[in-house]
Amino acid sequence: MDVALLLNPGIGIGLALQGLVRGAMYALMGVGLSLIFGILGVVNFAHGELFMIGAYVVVLVSVYLGLPFIVGVACAGIVLFLFGALLERGLITPLRRRAGRDWLMDSFVLTIGLMVILQNLAQILFGGEHRGVTDIISGALSIGPVTLSYDRVLILGVAILVALALWLFIKTTSLGKAIRATAQAPEAAQTLGIDIGRMYAVAFGIGAALAGIAGALLISIYTAYPTVGMEPVLKSFAVVILGGLGNIPGAIVAGLLLGLVEAFSGFLASSGWQNVITALLVVLILIFRPAGLFVLRGARP
Amino acid sequence: MSVAATPASRPATQARLIKVGILLLLMIAVPPLLDQRYLTSVLISVLMFGVLGAIYDFMLGYAGLSNFGFAGFIAVGAYASALGNLHYGISPWLGLLVGGLLCAAVGLVTGVITLRLRGLYLALMTWFIGETIRLTISNTPNYTRGMLGLTVAPFPNIAGIDFSRGNDLAYYYLLLVLGGLIMIAMHLLVRSRVGLAFKAIREDQLATESLGLNATLYKLLNFVVASFFIGVIGAYYAHYLGILSPTPEEFGVPRTVEVLTVAYVGGRGTLWGSLFAGLLLIGFQEYFRGLGPWRLVLFGVLLIAVILFAPKGLAGLKKYVW
Repeated sequence: MDVALLLNPGIGIGLALQGLVRGAMYALMGVGLSLIFGILGVVNFAHGELFMIGAYVVVLVSVYLGLPFIVGVACAGIVLFLFGALLERGLITPLRRRAGRDWLMDSFVLTIGLMVILQNLAQILFGGEHRGVTDIISGALSIGPVTLSYDRVLILGVAILVALALWLFIKTTSLGKAIRATAQAPEAAQTLGIDIGRMYAVAFGIGAALAGIAGALLISIYTAYPTVGMEPVLKSFAVVILGGLGNIPGAIVAGLLLGLVEAFSGFLASSGWQNVITALLVVLILIFRPAGLFVLRGARP
Repeated sequence: MSVAATPASRPATQARLIKVGILLLLMIAVPPLLDQRYLTSVLISVLMFGVLGAIYDFMLGYAGLSNFGFAGFIAVGAYASALGNLHYGISPWLGLLVGGLLCAAVGLVTGVITLRLRGLYLALMTWFIGETIRLTISNTPNYTRGMLGLTVAPFPNIAGIDFSRGNDLAYYYLLLVLGGLIMIAMHLLVRSRVGLAFKAIREDQLATESLGLNATLYKLLNFVVASFFIGVIGAYYAHYLGILSPTPEEFGVPRTVEVLTVAYVGGRGTLWGSLFAGLLLIGFQEYFRGLGPWRLVLFGVLLIAVILFAPKGLAGLKKYVW
């Protein structure tokens, strides 16, 4: 609780690293949420439940089937991609056909319904108990005065890899270009022969996969239980509001920033207040910079 | 629109009055005839969710505002009255007003900050504010007893009526009076010129503003009035229930979703539809008490079904039934 302790490099840098690990997860979640909003115009309130499913998948694959952890994470990504694409086709597409002016609110409330369903189905299927892994790889990396457990090194590493892979995919592949075209001008993309319905499904799938991967990676921090998604979803909304709705680079920076803020505020105030501090931060942003911290030059309104 | 009582509309108005009269008579007469404590407590839940749903509809269906921290606002009213009674000796009867006013104040601050933003931001912002309220309550156990649970006194007896905790019938009638007043106030408001302004804003804010109406001011009015009503019901809830704790089920997102579902199923922009939705949904869930988590699965499915297939909700069925 002593501010002077922060000057100790072991504690200061250690906190910063802890913050970056958290922040990497928030960034993954936030990027998924931002992608779904930017391309489909859907505010996905069930994002935390996609995180929850990812956590259950990794427990199933890596604990019950005994396969390597990284296989579990990959499985979570694949399962959630398919699930996300299916949700888009089964629920969002029919809504898009009939919704008009109230699209934003209606799709938001639809995902609220989805959240309630998924949470309670998980409760019915798996019960309320926490399932998890205490540590994936034991031991810790220490450089000088700073130590970081191998678990967290792994989380940080995979998160960076996934973010890089996504960036390459969106920037270089033709599918990525088609998705970007759909985001910019759906009608124009359609006239050029892009199947925009498919792009919507793929985009929702990718967003869901990112949430699932985050849920799987964090299994040593957040165990799997039905309502585990409630906190990450709050955080990922905080991230997209800080970064600006639909702004993907903004979500990454805001995610890391929020992780750092939380790590240090958790050190200075008792941990119960952490979520209050996050919420207040968001409220302040909404008051003073409702478009987010980073308004990109030439970005769409 | 109901501008003047043209000859054609007068019988329709009379028919509506008769319908409302019959319903009111049923609501007054049935509980003592049944005389079952359990059923009375179910009816209290039904009425409470019905009125809360109608308040949600007053915002959503008439002015296009969505309060996603609804449950946190209920908590403001509940804790204001309970803590006022505990720490400062304010009578729970006065607490109804205190809860309402404090909640209206929170609504005013929230509204001033958010109502200039688009609807979605309002939903997100109120969500964060609702969670902040709930977490603040749970983080200040010295004052609110936090998760330990706050014991709340019942309403003191008034005019010879016994309001001790066992007397659910008295609490039922009290809610009927409070809820009835709130419903009438909202009904009159949406029928007035102010209500026309609400609807115009919901339909097309830009066009409304170009006609010289201050849209933000009308939205703020709607939001603050609704918050006041939420606070009153919250205060009632505290003294009826007797114990408060800031769990998510009680004052978090799940509670908001329940109220939201009642409003959507009742039909947006109908006000009275929520009462029927409350009866249907809450009555149903009490009947199937052993349902456990399936109950909320059902709420979710209903919510999605209403949005996808029946945007008018129960109100869409009205012409077939009555």
